[in-house]
Amino acid sequence: MKFPIYLCVLELFASILLAQEKQIDFNSEKNIKKFADYLFCDKDYLRAAEEYQKLNGYEGNDTIIFKTGLSYLFIGDYSTSIDNFSNISSLSPFYENSKLERMKAQFLMNDYFGMRSFYNNNFPEDDSLSDRANRLFTFSYLITEDRLPQKEKFLLPFNSIEKEKISSFYDWKNDPPYKSSALAGILSAIVPGSGKIYTGDISDGIFSFLVTGVFTFLAYDNFRAGHDTRAWIFTGLAAFFYGGNVYGSIAAAQIYNAKITFEFNKGLNVFLESNNYFVPVYEFCN
Amino acid sequence: MIKIVLIIISLFTITAIAQTDWVKWGKAEISYEKKDLIRHKDYSYHDISISGLAVKTLANAYWFFVSDLDGDNCPFSPTCSSFLLQSVKETNIVQGTLMFFDRFTRDYNFIERYNRYPRVEDGHYYDPISLYTLNVKKINYIPPSTVVKQ
Amino acid sequence: MNFVTKIQHITFILVIPFFLLWAQDSFKEQFQLAKNFYAKENYFDAITELKRLLFFDNEEKYLFEANDLVGQCYKQGGKFSDAIRYFTLAEINAKYPERIYKEKIEIVRVNILRRTTQSAFRILNSLETDNRFKDKIDDINYWRGWAYIFSDDWENAAATFAKIDSAYQLQKLTEKVNNELYSVGFAKAISYIIPGAGQIYTGEYLSGFISLGWNVLWGYYTVKAFAADRIFDGVMIANFLFLRFYRGNLQNAENFAEEKNLEISNEALRYLQNEYDGLKP
Repeated sequence: MKFPIYLCVLELFASILLAQEKQIDFNSEKNIKKFADYLFCDKDYLRAAEEYQKLNGYEGNDTIIFKTGLSYLFIGDYSTSIDNFSNISSLSPFYENSKLERMKAQFLMNDYFGMRSFYNNNFPEDDSLSDRANRLFTFSYLITEDRLPQKEKFLLPFNSIEKEKISSFYDWKNDPPYKSSALAGILSAIVPGSGKIYTGDISDGIFSFLVTGVFTFLAYDNFRAGHDTRAWIFTGLAAFFYGGNVYGSIAAAQIYNAKITFEFNKGLNVFLESNNYFVPVYEFCN
Repeated sequence: MIKIVLIIISLFTITAIAQTDWVKWGKAEISYEKKDLIRHKDYSYHDISISGLAVKTLANAYWFFVSDLDGDNCPFSPTCSSFLLQSVKETNIVQGTLMFFDRFTRDYNFIERYNRYPRVEDGHYYDPISLYTLNVKKINYIPPSTVVKQ
Repeated sequence: MNFVTKIQHITFILVIPFFLLWAQDSFKEQFQLAKNFYAKENYFDAITELKRLLFFDNEEKYLFEANDLVGQCYKQGGKFSDAIRYFTLAEINAKYPERIYKEKIEIVRVNILRRTTQSAFRILNSLETDNRFKDKIDDINYWRGWAYIFSDDWENAAATFAKIDSAYQLQKLTEKVNNELYSVGFAKAISYIIPGAGQIYTGEYLSGFISLGWNVLWGYYTVKAFAADRIFDGVMIANFLFLRFYRGNLQNAENFAEEKNLEISNEALRYLQNEYDGLKP
């Protein structure tokens, strides 16, 4: 009997086929992209971005650069995100969106000035997304301390649903309902604690009045009874409590202002987030 | 049943895991030891001006003989005496004293503190001097119901 | 052809496919790559490679091992919730009881480490009543002992380790700590009777004596004021001075005892972490 060569060849062939199932090139272009897309949709953005950057065709592929930019934007690495968005060529279908995303990134890193000049230089009137960009541009004035434009002009880019909210933001920013620290100080100088009641710290105001009052009374009572040393100690304490009360009322007005500014900014953020910074939502994962 | 569990878990994983990995991380030093949350006072004299020296000595004496012995009476962090020390250091002796008396007055006010101050980890109310130096830029407002890590 | 060559041929034909399969299993290589990252403490990249493996592993051959290793990576990075989530995934995909047990114990260990010992106890209790794990009772008790240590219950820890023959070292250590600990209740109780006594019991002599001094002083003035019918003064001194220091004395007795206990238990925990060479959470 001869050695069954044909059997051997057949078997080799079969086992190569079999082995192929176990054989996969994890680092082929196709598989890296597949894996990166999966990571992107799994919201594992840092890993996704790094996988995308491994691809050889990375620099020429706008979809991938755009998704890398988005990944960095989502994880809060705004400057890398901007680098990616600015690499997208003007011929790409993602060009318009990348400009918008870039503005969003600048906005999120509080670079309002840079964002505005980018808008002025890159969004001509006929740009398809210029109205969205204009909204973000205009909105930024509610955050900075720069002078607000005229109200009519300010509301122009926004649609009728947004207008109502934006209008109230505008009014607040135009004339914030701050409390005057000078007035708070003066009020407390006249009636201890009244400045704090004016700034809304009612219980603090009452306690200021009581503490200053009690020590003044103790000073008076001891003078009347002829206990001079004790009387002077209480006078000193009363004076310090009085001074502290005037000082504290000024501080309280400042804190009140900081507090309402904080709440206003929080309101702005909630509004912006619910509108996704006026940037469209993409459907890469459906 | 297992499938449902799997789906629930994977839903969970997507959001929570992804956020863990949004920054690179490495090996963590995990200590078996328990954290010490008891407040310790800093008796040391480093980094102190001449007017501060007197105040610090007084404060140290007060801490040693009184405040370490009369219990935890201050609801705030920093404590009233630390508040005085820090404000004198940050401003000057006159302004620091005024800040201290204001703080002392607020210390009496026990009404709804939880609605007015954030807390630190050990449960005390966070009331830093930066709010009271009259320098608006230094005011960093933190809403109540937040827990501040120090 | 003789018999020997026949055998040779058959062996050759049989060996070829195995050889090919073995040589070309890139999944195995991928898993090895992840393991190498893990060994180099590069946990983030290890997870990336494991996720890649899991993503392409359509036959689900690595579902258990890869998820388990992802869990280990997160644990090393101190990301305990993520670790537990992946250990749970591994457990769901475990095919034999031995593996299920392993993952349950991994979850217990993470819970011990992050001091959520209630969950650890719950899992250990359910393992104990599980018939499949009847022979594991020593191991279950071993981890229960650790859970007691991390919930600061050194007495029960000692009692639990006493049930296992091989945990003699841990039993001695936990017993020693338990004996050294100060009784917080006792410190407070004696301070109720003699102010400062609790502080002295915990070794804070100076603080104890000054506290006693203050209490005697203001107690004396309080009594004196009441005796002289100066009721207002008496109430004021009692309320703002005497009671303040008395209350402070009780608080201090408690605080000192707790602080000393913390020192004692932390010293033991340091030893366990750095010197003890048995299995640890």
